[in-house]
Amino acid sequence: MSAALLSLTIPLATAMLLLLFRTRAGTVVIVANTASLVAAMLALDAVMTGAREQLSLGNWDAPLGIRFELGPLTAVLLVFTALIHLLVTIYAQASRHSKTRDTDFWPLSCLLHASLAALWLSRDLFNWYITLELLGLTAVAMIIISGPRSHLPALRYLLLSLAASLCYLLGVAFLYGRYGVLDIRMLAEVVVDDPGTRLAMLLLTLGLMLKAALWPLHQWLPAAHAAAPTAVSALLSALVVKGPLFILWMVWSTLAEPGFARQAGVLFAFAGIAALVSGGWAALRTPWLKVLVAYSTVAQLGYALLALGLLLYWQDPEMSIALWLFVLAHGLAKVSMFLGAGEMQATLGSRRVSALKGASQTMPLAMFAFAVAGGSLIGLPPSGGFIAKWVLLQPLLVEPSHWPWALGVLLGTLASAGYVFRVVTIAFNRADPSSPGHDPDTAAQWLAMLPALIVWAMALLSEPLILWFQEVGL
Amino acid sequence: MSHISLYLLGGVALWVLGLHALMTQRNALRRIMAVNVMGSGTFMVMVALAARMTPIDPVLQALVVTGLVVAASATAFALRLATTESPVADVDRERE
Amino acid sequence: MNAELLFDAALILLLLALAAATLHTRKLYTAIVLFIVFGLMLALTWARLGAVDLALAEAAIGAGLIGVMLLAAFGRSGPEAATRAPPAVLAASVLLCSLLLVLFAQGVWPLANNSAPVPELVNSHLAASGVSHPVTAVLLNFRAWDTLLELVVLLLALLGVRQLHSPNMNLPAAWPLLQAWSRLLAPLSIVIGGYLLWRGSHAPGGAFQAGAVLAAGAIVLRLAGLLPPLRWNWWPMRACVLGGVALFMTIAAAGYWLGSGWLDYPPGLGKTLITLIEIAATVSIAVSLSLLVVGDTREITP
Repeated sequence: MSAALLSLTIPLATAMLLLLFRTRAGTVVIVANTASLVAAMLALDAVMTGAREQLSLGNWDAPLGIRFELGPLTAVLLVFTALIHLLVTIYAQASRHSKTRDTDFWPLSCLLHASLAALWLSRDLFNWYITLELLGLTAVAMIIISGPRSHLPALRYLLLSLAASLCYLLGVAFLYGRYGVLDIRMLAEVVVDDPGTRLAMLLLTLGLMLKAALWPLHQWLPAAHAAAPTAVSALLSALVVKGPLFILWMVWSTLAEPGFARQAGVLFAFAGIAALVSGGWAALRTPWLKVLVAYSTVAQLGYALLALGLLLYWQDPEMSIALWLFVLAHGLAKVSMFLGAGEMQATLGSRRVSALKGASQTMPLAMFAFAVAGGSLIGLPPSGGFIAKWVLLQPLLVEPSHWPWALGVLLGTLASAGYVFRVVTIAFNRADPSSPGHDPDTAAQWLAMLPALIVWAMALLSEPLILWFQEVGL
Repeated sequence: MSHISLYLLGGVALWVLGLHALMTQRNALRRIMAVNVMGSGTFMVMVALAARMTPIDPVLQALVVTGLVVAASATAFALRLATTESPVADVDRERE
Repeated sequence: MNAELLFDAALILLLLALAAATLHTRKLYTAIVLFIVFGLMLALTWARLGAVDLALAEAAIGAGLIGVMLLAAFGRSGPEAATRAPPAVLAASVLLCSLLLVLFAQGVWPLANNSAPVPELVNSHLAASGVSHPVTAVLLNFRAWDTLLELVVLLLALLGVRQLHSPNMNLPAAWPLLQAWSRLLAPLSIVIGGYLLWRGSHAPGGAFQAGAVLAAGAIVLRLAGLLPPLRWNWWPMRACVLGGVALFMTIAAAGYWLGSGWLDYPPGLGKTLITLIEIAATVSIAVSLSLLVVGDTREITP
């Protein structure tokens, strides 16, 4: 546990120091993120045996105090968070086009890192409300770094995020009023299936779905994520929407009675397929490059939602593994995609998809990063996205009665192939290439590609990871 | 019927009023006030739940104090964000 | 008993009417004034429900500071465009909200008679917490992690506003009467703030209420032109804002790596440490809120 706490404390302390000394030194943040990554890896090592470490904050046991729990999934998420932050901050420091250099991006990204670590570790419903608010406010503050153009989508995001928090908080109040505890495990022991509890669960779910931009409550996401500076878009899509998703997964997998879970599971699964199709369709049609990538996030979250739905519907813990593999693979791929897209749009001087004409020639590296990341999103073997999809599909294919769900996955795959190939075909149209406005920044393009390479390498790692998750549970 | 039930009902009614205004109003300041009314409704439910027993539940009251400060901070940010002069983006979006 | 119930019913109806009027009145200015009245009535409601801590916080933060910020925002915003929601949206919203209201009413109804095990736990551990007021004990000992994160939320609001790079507020020349009054009010706010902070350990009051009152004093002084511009780039200002979180974190980490646990106060030191944290938090809240309302936003780049 002490390594996990270190992984949380280091970014928070770094943020304080950066703010106090008003430095915007990216190297300090990179060093801090590296240290946090090392600490998170040590934490992961400590739970290798599957032991769950508990920590009662202030030595007050729940229900009086707040409890932290470090299990296998939490440790993996801590490593994931630190890794993504490290990759993105290195890019933000190195790229000439990153508009985050002399801004408060640095302390804010540290605060985002700390908030996420606090969220993964906590197991308290009210404490999660505060971490959700932290995530929302950090996200909005980071979006408006890019200037006045982003104020309108940021305000919309902030208001919806506040309303969602209040929806969640009302649900928490109902649960506390009914059972008198806030700790999720204690709640799981006493919870019964009655209309009041179902209403509270509905409120929690609506609030969290709005925050995680899960279909049909996703309308705020594309504008907000597209308006942010490139490095921030990457963090938002890879990490911020995953926080509420974690709480949603936790709440449903521990609190819902099987009967209720089955009913809700069908709805979640249908919403997931709707997200895959509608998000993919919107990504296929939008004229703006970053909006395309943002819609792809909406679509990809559909897989997570589908996995959650099937987890509840079949009560099959294998689906939890599929869900979190999707989250990991999508996070890494989306970082590459946003960074590649951001590099291309800054170099070509236009935010339109059509401006990418000939980009395979003028900016081969960034385009390659985009395509490689896209390959993982489509689920081409042997990428991380493929492995996640494989885990999801296995139980779908064994039984003929499950085949309709597999059809949904197929539709989603086709949609994501559609928008990735839309970009790739334009980029390979070398007839009349748009000439780059500035010199392409080769180092930055390599850094954009790095996460995509990691996600393909994940295929090698994922077999032990899956076996380990199966053995010790999440 | 005790006074607690009245306040619980009042709280949810405030929450719903706020939600309705959030969905139908267009002005940013009005929407911010709507979110605040939703917040007040939530807090009223929590305070009424705290008051239903003797001694009064200090945990819920503490949670509401925390929630109030969080809500006020977010409101302050939203108010500045809503009223900072921003050249409307539509014009230069067309130009590109 | 019946008279009391009548009072409660009247108070709730008044609150609902005020909220509805705030949200749907034609003129924005009227809406803001009604909203401030709504906040004050809410403070009265909290007092009625026995939540004195909250009544103080609501009056100072909810009605006071938010009211000031709303009026300032009204001054900055242009004329309101008279756009109304299309009737279809309006109808859908009314339908959805009525449905929710019925559902919620059924949901909350049985909760009035439940009870929770935690209050007894709080009372039985109160002696070990270092303070004798249960709400303060929860805020600064039992659930201190919430409070720490909440200070970070306040810091984030401030950081968010700084990203806007909005122009400095043009303060009008202060009115002599305001100057005279603020000379009287400012020391009063310090006295009341200090009193609230001191009281927090054994009775309703504490860091948030005290911080809000101090901030109100600072804001009045600034508006009267009696304080110099409040600048983020003056380092003591930043140290004050960050002090609360920094001290809290230091104590938490020191407890973990040197003592008995994360955020666990060593026996006997509880009261001292809580007092220290409360003082730092009060300063931090007061300065952050003042910066949020009247802070100078233009930066001189280093």
